[in-house]
Formats: sequence, structure tokens, C-alpha cells
Amino acid sequence: MIAFEHVSLEYRPGRYALKDVSFKLDSGSFTFLTGHSGAGKSSLLRLTARLAIPTNGDIQVGNIVYSRLGKRQEAALRQQMGIVFQDNQLLHDRSVFDNVAFPLIIGGYRFDDIKVRVNAALSKVGLSDKAREQPITLSGGEQQRVGIARAVVARPKLLLADEPTGNLDSEISAEIMQLLMHFNASGVTVLFATHDETLLNAFAYPRLKLAKGELDVAGRSVIERAPAFKGRAANANTRKVHASG
Amino acid sequence: MRIHARCTQVVSEKQKVGNQNIPEVHGPRWTYSRRGYALAQSLRQLKRFKLASLGTLLVLGITLSLPFILYFASATLNTLSQRSLQGESLTAYLDTAISDLDGAQLAKTWHAQPGIERAEYISREQALAMLSEDDDIRAAIDVLGVNPLPGAIVLYPQTNNINAGDIESMARSFGDLPEVARVQLDLRWVRRLEAVVSLVKWIGGLLAAFLTLTALLVIANTIRLELSRRRAEMEVASLLGASTHFMNRPILYTGALYGFLGGLLSCIIALITLNAISTPADELSSLYQSTFTLTMPEPSQILLVLGVSIILGLIGAVSTLNHPSRLLTHNG
Repeated sequence: MIAFEHVSLEYRPGRYALKDVSFKLDSGSFTFLTGHSGAGKSSLLRLTARLAIPTNGDIQVGNIVYSRLGKRQEAALRQQMGIVFQDNQLLHDRSVFDNVAFPLIIGGYRFDDIKVRVNAALSKVGLSDKAREQPITLSGGEQQRVGIARAVVARPKLLLADEPTGNLDSEISAEIMQLLMHFNASGVTVLFATHDETLLNAFAYPRLKLAKGELDVAGRSVIERAPAFKGRAANANTRKVHASG
Repeated sequence: MRIHARCTQVVSEKQKVGNQNIPEVHGPRWTYSRRGYALAQSLRQLKRFKLASLGTLLVLGITLSLPFILYFASATLNTLSQRSLQGESLTAYLDTAISDLDGAQLAKTWHAQPGIERAEYISREQALAMLSEDDDIRAAIDVLGVNPLPGAIVLYPQTNNINAGDIESMARSFGDLPEVARVQLDLRWVRRLEAVVSLVKWIGGLLAAFLTLTALLVIANTIRLELSRRRAEMEVASLLGASTHFMNRPILYTGALYGFLGGLLSCIIALITLNAISTPADELSSLYQSTFTLTMPEPSQILLVLGVSIILGLIGAVSTLNHPSRLLTHNG
């Protein structure tokens, strides 16, 4: 479950990346996060991953309320998430295997576990035969699949995808989408930021639409009131997006 | 829809690939633990930028070699002034009223005192006999008709952990005794030597401090470059949930590695230098009829030097770190 309660992110006095955003996503849901460039999609994902701290409001992911999170717990929180980036953020000084193994090394997994999990993740994205390669030798789509393998290798409960198909053609985008749907089917909550209308029209998933940093109720989202955080007063502006779309 | 059909095709292709035997494609097992990863990254950076790393290590080795040469030679410098006291003695001329028996007994008593290596009593007759070996002096004494010489006790102080000042204070304390008429001691040249040694130690110490500071700055600057080279990796690590410790560890290991290798190189330079100057030093020593020799460092000294080098490397790394992971996390 992801819940935003009156979350604002002010990057300069009076200039908001996000303004008073409230919503709730169920566990195991697949949600598109849409909006034009600069609408605040990346900011919302960064806030969800605790890569940025909201100016106002609070965020809850699962049982974790971010305002009560200690500095040390932030890193542990991110280990429980998978993040896929538009520019894939692969490290080009090491092999595909080592790129995918990186989150597991960070997580302190044993070598035997790392071997099994990396091979399984690469198998899932169809890149077992590329494990020894350097990322630079792979195509854009393959690199993005490596990024996805790295995001899911630690078996996260939440997968955040920031325009993962932004630099890819429609066929490769479909591959990437298929992979994310595959992980969603196994119970992973997916929040997929995109402004690709073709993709949005092809898949009937619920949408969170952002416009100029504010949540837009238009589009295909179905919004209703959501329960407030434990110990906090409910607010009329808190919204919930149904997985039914 | 066409896009869905394509998706189904991709899945079946992936399942086929997934069922194939997976080759072993990983690196050495130890590099997949957190500490092993940090060490592997540090070594990889050294290997990747061979010339730059070698240049830095040479600068460190040369910079640290002088402080280490001074440290290795400091034991020799410390013993230099003590060794110059070897064989030195102070002579206490006794009151003429003291009998030979009392004089000999006094020598025994003084010998038992701390700091005295040996005490020899020279009776009035022995002194007269020694002086009578010279014909002119014997003639002069014959004219006097009596033996004018007092009995004397020659004291040889222990030279371990003692300096000229200690011997002078010892002379004063003996001179204050009622049995003693006068104490003779000449340590002016030892005083001069001690002053020179002290000056050399001060200058050497200051130089060593400046050079150590230089080494520290070199390491810190190298680590700063290392940080900029590793920025992409640190950003990704931060996004993947790496702790500050995880991100800092390779940097600390790099600092320690530079310290260790720089220290090792400086030890080699220092040993070669000491070996090269030991022969001329021995020749100089023999000219002054001294037993002084330049000693080579003990293994424990070398280990200490390596330990200090590693600590310098770590200090250089820590001074540069300043929690970059946190900056990356919240500013990035």
C-alpha cells in the first residue's frame, strides 16, 4: 500500500514540484503515473523512494510512515523497493551479472544466494546469455531489461518505474511493459510513470494523472476517499485509486 | 491487439532462454561480500588508473621516506650522545686528611651507588708514582720533600639513559661531600654534541611533520579524485539503498591501501638510503674513534611505520568523505 497525505514538495519558495497530493494505492496494484514533462511524476517517485523529503504532508508505504523514519532506516527502506529508470543507470565498468548482483551485495546476501537470484532474474528478462557482457555492448532494450532485472532481483514488494520506455521504440516498450506486468502478476505493486499515450491506451490500468504538480481527477482514474494514517485525522482531499481502472 | 501479441511472443522467448543452462559468469566469490566488494573496488581503481596510482604512490613513498629515515635513525641519534660519554669519568680529589683505608672504603661505597659503573681509588702513593714517571715532575716533588698529592677516586658513570647534564649533577653532589676537596670534569664537547643532536632532532621533527602533512594532503587529494570517479557508482548505490557505510567503505579502503603501499615504498627507500650512508657514517665514526654505527631498523619499527602509514591514509580518506552519500541522497 502506498499512501500520500497532503504531500507537497517545494523546490524554491513558492515553486512546487508537487502540491497537496493525496492518494492511496493498494498492495499488488499496477498504476500508471501520467502527466506531461515537468508535471511532477519523477518528484512523486523520488518522494516514494525517499530520495527526496516532502516539504509538507506525509507518506506511508506498507507499515512504514516516512515522517517517523530514522536516517538509517531510509537505506533499508530503499532495499525493499525496486527502481527502474529511464536512463537505466547501469554501471558500465562491470558485467551484466555484476550490475544485477549490486543490490544483493548492498543487501548483504550470501554469495550462493546472489548467484541463484541473479541467474533467475536474468532468466526472467531473457538475458541469461548476456550475463558476462558489459552493458555498453547491449541494445537499449536489453539495457533496460538489465535495469529491470536489477530492480527485481531482491524480490521487492514495490516496483517504481520512471519512464522506463521513454527512450525505446514501441516493440521494445511492449517487452518492458510485459515484464512489469509479469512481476505485478506475482504480487509486486507497480507504479509506472509514463507519458506514452500508446502504452496508456493499450493497457487498462488505473492512472494517477499529474498536472503542474497537482493531482488531476480527470482521465481514467477512479478516486474516492481513503482512510487516513493511523493516529491522524481523515481528510476530505485524500484519494484512493482502484486497481480496477 | 498487436502490442499484446508481441508481449506474448516475448514471454515465450524469455521462457525458452530461461530454461537453458546458465554458465558461470561471476567474479571471485570474495568480491560479492560487502567488505570484499569494497576491497575489490579499491584494487580495481588502482589497477584501472595504473600510471596515476603509481605516480601518487611514488610521491607518497618519497614524501614519507624522510620522516621514516629520521625515525629509523632516531635511535642511533639518541645513543650518539650517550655513546660519546662512554669511557668518560669524573675525578673526585679527596681531602688530604683522608687515609688510604678510608679512601678505598669510600670508593667501595660510591661504587654501590646507582648510576656508577665503576669506582677506582688512587692512593697518594699511586698518584705520586704515576707522576714520578715524568723526570721533571719527579725532580719538583723531590724538592718539596713531601708528597703533596691527595688521594683520588675516579668514577665511571653508567652511560645508559644518561646525559652530560646528569653527569654534571652527579659531580656537584660528590663535590658537596665533606671528604671531597674538588671534583674535576670536562664535558664541554659532549655538551656541544648534545646541542647539535638536539637541533638535528628538532629540525628533523619539523621536517617530518611538514612532510607527513604533505603526504596527508596528497592522500586526501587522491581520494577526492577517487570520489569524483566513483560518483556514478555511489549515486546508483544510494538509489539501490546502500548505507553510508557501504558507500564510504571502498573510499576508506582506498585511503588505507594508498597509505600501506606508500608506507611500504617509503620503507624500501629508507632502507636503501640508510644502507647507502652506513659505510660513510662508519668511516666518520672511526675518524673520531667512536663506537657509533648506524643501525638498520628493527622489524617492529617497520611494522609501526606501516601502521602509521595506514592510519595516515585513513585520516586522508575520512577528511575527504564528509558523508557524500547523504548529499547524494538528498540533493540528487
